[in-house]
Amino acid sequence: MGAEGPRLPTAAERRRPPVIGPGHTFATVTDKISTIVLTRPTTPGWLAGFLVSFSLMMLLFYAIGYLLLEGVGVWGINIPVGWGFAIVNFVWWIGIGHAGTLISAILLLLNQKWRTSINRFAEAMTLFAVASAGLFPLLHLGRPGLFYWLLPYPSTMGVWPQFRSPLVWDVFAVSTYFTVSLLFWFVGLIPDLATLRDRAETRAARILYGILAMGWRGSAMHWHRYQTAYLLLAGLAAPLVVSVHTVVSLDFAVGIIPGWHSTIFPPYFVAGAIYSGFAMVLTLAIPLRAAYGLEDFITMRHLENMAKVMLATGLIVAYGYAMELFMAWYSGNTYEGFTAWNRIVGPYWPAYWALILCNVVIPQLLWFKRVRTKVPVLFVLSLTVNLGMWLERFVIVVTSLHRDFLPSSWGMYTATRWDWAVFVGSMGLFLTLLFLFIRFLPMISIFEMRELVSETEAGSSD
Amino acid sequence: MIEPAAYMPGPEMNRLQWRALWIGVAVLGVCILGAFRSPAQFFHSYLLAFLFWTGMALGCLAIAMLHHLTGGSWGMVIRRLLESGSRTLPLMALLFVPLFFGRHWIYSWTRPMNLPRQQLEYLDVRFFLTRAVLYFVVWLALAHWLGKWSHEQDRTGDRRLLRKMQWLSGPGLVLYGLTGTFAAVDWMMSLEPRWYSSIFGLLIIGGQVLSAMAFVIVVLVLLTAYQPLGRVLQPRHMHNLGKLLLAFVMVWAYLSFSQLLIMWSGNLPEEIPWYLHRLEGGWRWVGVLLILFHFALPFFLLLSRDLKRTGPKLALLAMLVVVMRMVDLFWLTAPEFSPGRFHIHWMDIAAPVGMGGVWLAVFAWHLKTRPLLPVGDPYLAVVLEGEHE
Repeated sequence: MGAEGPRLPTAAERRRPPVIGPGHTFATVTDKISTIVLTRPTTPGWLAGFLVSFSLMMLLFYAIGYLLLEGVGVWGINIPVGWGFAIVNFVWWIGIGHAGTLISAILLLLNQKWRTSINRFAEAMTLFAVASAGLFPLLHLGRPGLFYWLLPYPSTMGVWPQFRSPLVWDVFAVSTYFTVSLLFWFVGLIPDLATLRDRAETRAARILYGILAMGWRGSAMHWHRYQTAYLLLAGLAAPLVVSVHTVVSLDFAVGIIPGWHSTIFPPYFVAGAIYSGFAMVLTLAIPLRAAYGLEDFITMRHLENMAKVMLATGLIVAYGYAMELFMAWYSGNTYEGFTAWNRIVGPYWPAYWALILCNVVIPQLLWFKRVRTKVPVLFVLSLTVNLGMWLERFVIVVTSLHRDFLPSSWGMYTATRWDWAVFVGSMGLFLTLLFLFIRFLPMISIFEMRELVSETEAGSSD
Repeated sequence: MIEPAAYMPGPEMNRLQWRALWIGVAVLGVCILGAFRSPAQFFHSYLLAFLFWTGMALGCLAIAMLHHLTGGSWGMVIRRLLESGSRTLPLMALLFVPLFFGRHWIYSWTRPMNLPRQQLEYLDVRFFLTRAVLYFVVWLALAHWLGKWSHEQDRTGDRRLLRKMQWLSGPGLVLYGLTGTFAAVDWMMSLEPRWYSSIFGLLIIGGQVLSAMAFVIVVLVLLTAYQPLGRVLQPRHMHNLGKLLLAFVMVWAYLSFSQLLIMWSGNLPEEIPWYLHRLEGGWRWVGVLLILFHFALPFFLLLSRDLKRTGPKLALLAMLVVVMRMVDLFWLTAPEFSPGRFHIHWMDIAAPVGMGGVWLAVFAWHLKTRPLLPVGDPYLAVVLEGEHE
């Protein structure tokens, strides 16, 4: 900006905190992030958290073992509600897994600098969430050993997947998403793995990080190719953010069950996925930045921006609910009308109203800057949205199935202790992987933060 | 602060205003003559024109609010165009009056019909009118306040106005989402009573935003032939606008395809007739046209970085999108009046052109009264300097 040019409002005037705390240099950024992995001793807090998560993961394995021995009858599913917790949890986890790729790919393409300090662990979160999600449909198959029947392989038995079924699209959508997210995450890690290799103090660590760094030397040629590859991967990953949850929504909408067969489902599921994904990133980022003193890297600006994304996507989700209700009424369709009414006042009314409270009413607080900048309040809000989004999937899955066209085949669904064990256990799996990640890999991208430092020093107002 | 006089549009805007007005009035006059021959056809074409130009104005309003919320230099260069576009809404409110009087020729539900009780309640003439008034009140209020504050900003450069516009835009977008949706239900979905689709509102809103984006790109490129915009505009501005155009093209295709896929696979008697009306007797080819020129061609061309950065090429493509928006609205409405048999009348082209002339005249009239760039906005420096994105 020229010296005589009109003065731009400073960050303070715009009441916007910076994306990186003041006074950081290349060295401090590298030190601060890499010491968490390399030199800091394992803290009691980490150990305690890891142990709890690990125990929950053991509970998951135990529950899965019992399920494999006894069959899916140990769950509460039956006719008419054949989908139950397994599908609720699947959709919930997959939804959470959307923030990572959105933050890393779409925000990268949109040139949003603030993504830098949250993308790494958001991507890791995505992978672990998708891993947790993937378990459920497999277990729900009833005969998980035959899972490969879902794939179109040249079979001598003449078994071929039904390509008109979105359940088959799911197989492709989710596995593609997982593969691309994994690649994206790993490629993003390579320069940082090289940093860790160079700074490692033990021989074992040097060898391990050295192998993972794939011979990275940081030459200009490396960087040039690296940037190209990273951008290409981002371009590939961006449509996946939309496609995966669209396909998940079609699992419901392609059928003609009242309450599922609604054209708004694809955009409203995608918005819901981003909503829950950002809620989960906040749920994780807030304790992490406190525990590791990362307030300079994950600043109020990040938290506020994420809160704004939550508000926007939450409003789209609320719009989806409103349109479903309006069309159920306007159509004059007996079954649609009944399903909507049954959700509101039927036997599952507490779930419906709790969902409205968590997803629509309470998040309206995010309109206020005072709320968006209060960290504890934001944390509670993020938990509320996580809960609300789980309830949303529960309401969609269970209320539509338990009372459909034929009153003589109505029934109720109650989760058994094994349903709960697998659900809570899947959180154990997710958290265990996450604890291992923050202990062994840099949770914030070191090299991108260094870029950010040089850009901030160059005098940009952001 | 930047000198406003340096950014005032030249005499060409005046010429545009009067030419557009005369052409518009003349063509509309011919249409009115046509109305004596076939009033039903006149109102069918009138509806198409009204939906197209109202959508254009609303799309401008929506993008302007989006810009106030997110900031960015892409919005700064088109802000005046967006404001002028949204300030044509009073004209559209006026043009709604003939539509209301012609309702019997357009909406079958104005005659006694065997419909579900809920639709009889919702599609009641008095309720219909009340809602339309409500929509226009909301839209006019939003366009008025944003236009007024922007004008004040030009004169005073007051920084608080930035926050004010931002403050209004959040709730403004929510209001636009709701009113736009219900207007789409009232004016378009109800052409086929009994049919319903929960994505329809979003689909129409997406189309409005897309038309407005394409339109302002065309106007912006035309204005670069003159000063002051000729010396301000750089390829990177066009690049950003091109990216947004691509994004909106994709959103439109995504929403349209979602509706088609879900209804096709459901194949329910209350849903599928709507598509059958649009796929039989020649209408199918209009649909094919939409796939090719409303989605495929713009999508693939807009992937090119070179095209997005070259103003004239981008404008040509944007012009195609504007035309295809009209074809899309034609495909959404006209088959209801002639199901199973393709039918196009000269007034289907004349009415939108005529109304467009009048609309453009009002647009140009608003545009020429203010500087072409928001001179009071502190971020304008970013656009002019061109060092930051």
